[in-house]
Amino acid sequence: MKKKSVAVLLITVMTSALILPGCAKSDKKEVEFFSSKAENAEIMKTLVDEFNKENAASGVTVVLNTPADAGTVLKTRLAKNDIPDIIAYGGDSTYTELQSAGVLKDLSGADYLNTVQDAYMQMVYDVQKNKEQVPYAVPYAANASGVIYNVDKFNELGLEVPKTWDEFLDVIRKIEDSGETPFEYTFKDTWTLCCAWNSIAPDLAPDTFNDERRKGNTSFAATHQEIAGKYLELMKHAQKDILGTGYDDGNKAFANGEGVMMINGNWVLNQLVTANADVNVDMFAVPASNDTSHNYVTSGIDVLLCESKTSKYPEVADAFMSFMMRKENNQKYIDDQFAFSPIEGVTQSDAKVAGIQKDIESGKVANFPDHYYPSGFDLAEALSEFAMNYVNGEEDSKNIDTFLKELDNQYDAVNIAE
Amino acid sequence: MSVTSRHKEKKESRMKRKNKKVDTVYYLGVGFMAVLFFIFHTCAFLKGIFFSFTDWKGYGAWNFVGLKNYFYVFKNKDILAAYAFTFKFAFISTIAVNIVSLILACALNAKIRFKNFLKGIYFLPYMLGSLIVGFIFNFIFGNIIPKLGQTIGNESMSVNILGTSHAMWAIVFVTVWAGCAFNTLIYIAGLQSIDTDIYEAAALDGAHGFKRFRLITFPLLAPSFTINMVLSVKGYLMVYDQIMAMTGGGPGNTTTSIAVMIYKQGLGKGQFAVQTANAVILFIVVVAISIFQLRILEKREEKVG
Repeated sequence: MKKKSVAVLLITVMTSALILPGCAKSDKKEVEFFSSKAENAEIMKTLVDEFNKENAASGVTVVLNTPADAGTVLKTRLAKNDIPDIIAYGGDSTYTELQSAGVLKDLSGADYLNTVQDAYMQMVYDVQKNKEQVPYAVPYAANASGVIYNVDKFNELGLEVPKTWDEFLDVIRKIEDSGETPFEYTFKDTWTLCCAWNSIAPDLAPDTFNDERRKGNTSFAATHQEIAGKYLELMKHAQKDILGTGYDDGNKAFANGEGVMMINGNWVLNQLVTANADVNVDMFAVPASNDTSHNYVTSGIDVLLCESKTSKYPEVADAFMSFMMRKENNQKYIDDQFAFSPIEGVTQSDAKVAGIQKDIESGKVANFPDHYYPSGFDLAEALSEFAMNYVNGEEDSKNIDTFLKELDNQYDAVNIAE
Repeated sequence: MSVTSRHKEKKESRMKRKNKKVDTVYYLGVGFMAVLFFIFHTCAFLKGIFFSFTDWKGYGAWNFVGLKNYFYVFKNKDILAAYAFTFKFAFISTIAVNIVSLILACALNAKIRFKNFLKGIYFLPYMLGSLIVGFIFNFIFGNIIPKLGQTIGNESMSVNILGTSHAMWAIVFVTVWAGCAFNTLIYIAGLQSIDTDIYEAAALDGAHGFKRFRLITFPLLAPSFTINMVLSVKGYLMVYDQIMAMTGGGPGNTTTSIAVMIYKQGLGKGQFAVQTANAVILFIVVVAISIFQLRILEKREEKVG
């Protein structure tokens, strides 16, 4: 009965393969640090290693986990009620969901809270459910969106950084006259379409728009005509294949001298430097209005830190949070990422962001408008359709009307479903 | 035959089966797979159907909402657009894949040189996996073809087709290229099972070339044709990998298939329950179409066989 014994053996192997991994896990003393950004994995790893060295006596190690598609992974983990001990995430609607699920620890009383700038702490409260004023998370790094420009080319063409919309158009015209392409866009990765929108909209939209829109008292069609018009205007001065250029390819091309400006965020700089170490760029806020007091830098919380309520080793998790929030450690992170610090006394001094550093320090910042849209609302897709219609030669005013109507329809659809 | 005798016969055959002892190890093997299938597939599926009647967000508290999610699916313009795209895509791809692989199979079945080598070449895409194929073509469409277009001065070739409203055709092309491997293999197997005597007889009766194909080869390929049609339609209605690798559903929502939509909206945009309902509907649609196809094609098999 040779056949039979082989079959039995196979079955045993298959069954045990199912059971064994379950046993192996149990008694390792670990604290999981879940981080959502691939871009900062290296510096996070460095910080985690330092902490583990410093904290070796406790016998508990912090383990970094940076999965791809982190938002989806985190939501799945939430569904299984398997919350990582410490989470580093962006200040967006996924955080709102996490916070409203009631799985986060109230950080009130922690020493490091005193060192955080109020404007950024307020941004955390703003994205919490019902704008609850309890610190369930602490901001760790801020980002900024705006125009990234090639300093060498600006100097060559004798251009100055524009302060108003009219000056901006003037700069664009001069660049075109010289035979260069003003903008390099990377719309094949649809999220990059949101960058220009996020930079223009806060300057021109009514202050109460988000609250009123949620209640249904106003609409995109009634208030966002100018924003859509200016968005479209900028799109007309870019390279030919805007929808076919991906983020990586476009960044590489820009770093090596194609285009003069890009509308994106400080998170691009890391990539530009990788593509060309000698790249000479700086940033300025998109001057969407002729009233300079309205031309904000769009800045949001790029990374916030929060703790699970149900950590197995809460003292280690607390110690790790304090460690991360130390000024010298935050500085290391900020320097590595070209990011801005929400912690007082930690400044970003790199020349690549010098143009917006002052605005950020003085608090002339507006949060990303899409952080306030409902979570099912797909701005990127609507903008991508808008851009495609433009490329296909649709007439401007008709294109703008369809686009704004589409935004309103989509907003209503997801607002009700929630 | 009277009722009683028929009854007796049944009983006898049952007893015969009982007497012939079947080794329990076979039941163990089959049962093991059945349990695995039930736990990892059926349970998850039933749970999904259950949650499609709730407002569950993927975590936290939930309430029953009846058929609300299903009504939402039928009313939502974007979801309906995804269905329209998916049907169009599945229809075009299925026909294209089957025509191309039938031609390939006939050519490879003929007495040509390097036959086995060529068979290997054509089977290669199947080994690569559609995600990898998607990434490779993403690079080709994004970097190689536009450069070529610029060099030869062709306007429409110098942009990345994946960023235009013709992106669907690029995806169809890649799908056909990758999908041919498997379908060709099945057709070759079908062709080899056709007795050469039949061809000789056909030749005597004066059937050559395309006539022979139309009257002899194609009807005798009926079983392979059925398998290929059903599997192609089923596969392409659930298209996902290629699209995620090449366009992510864009530009706009022009290449958003149902599966892509379920993933993007359900897991990324907090519409878990709605998209679960959508998944249930997709399941029903695929099953209905497959059964419909099988009925029709099997009838055809009976007629020609």
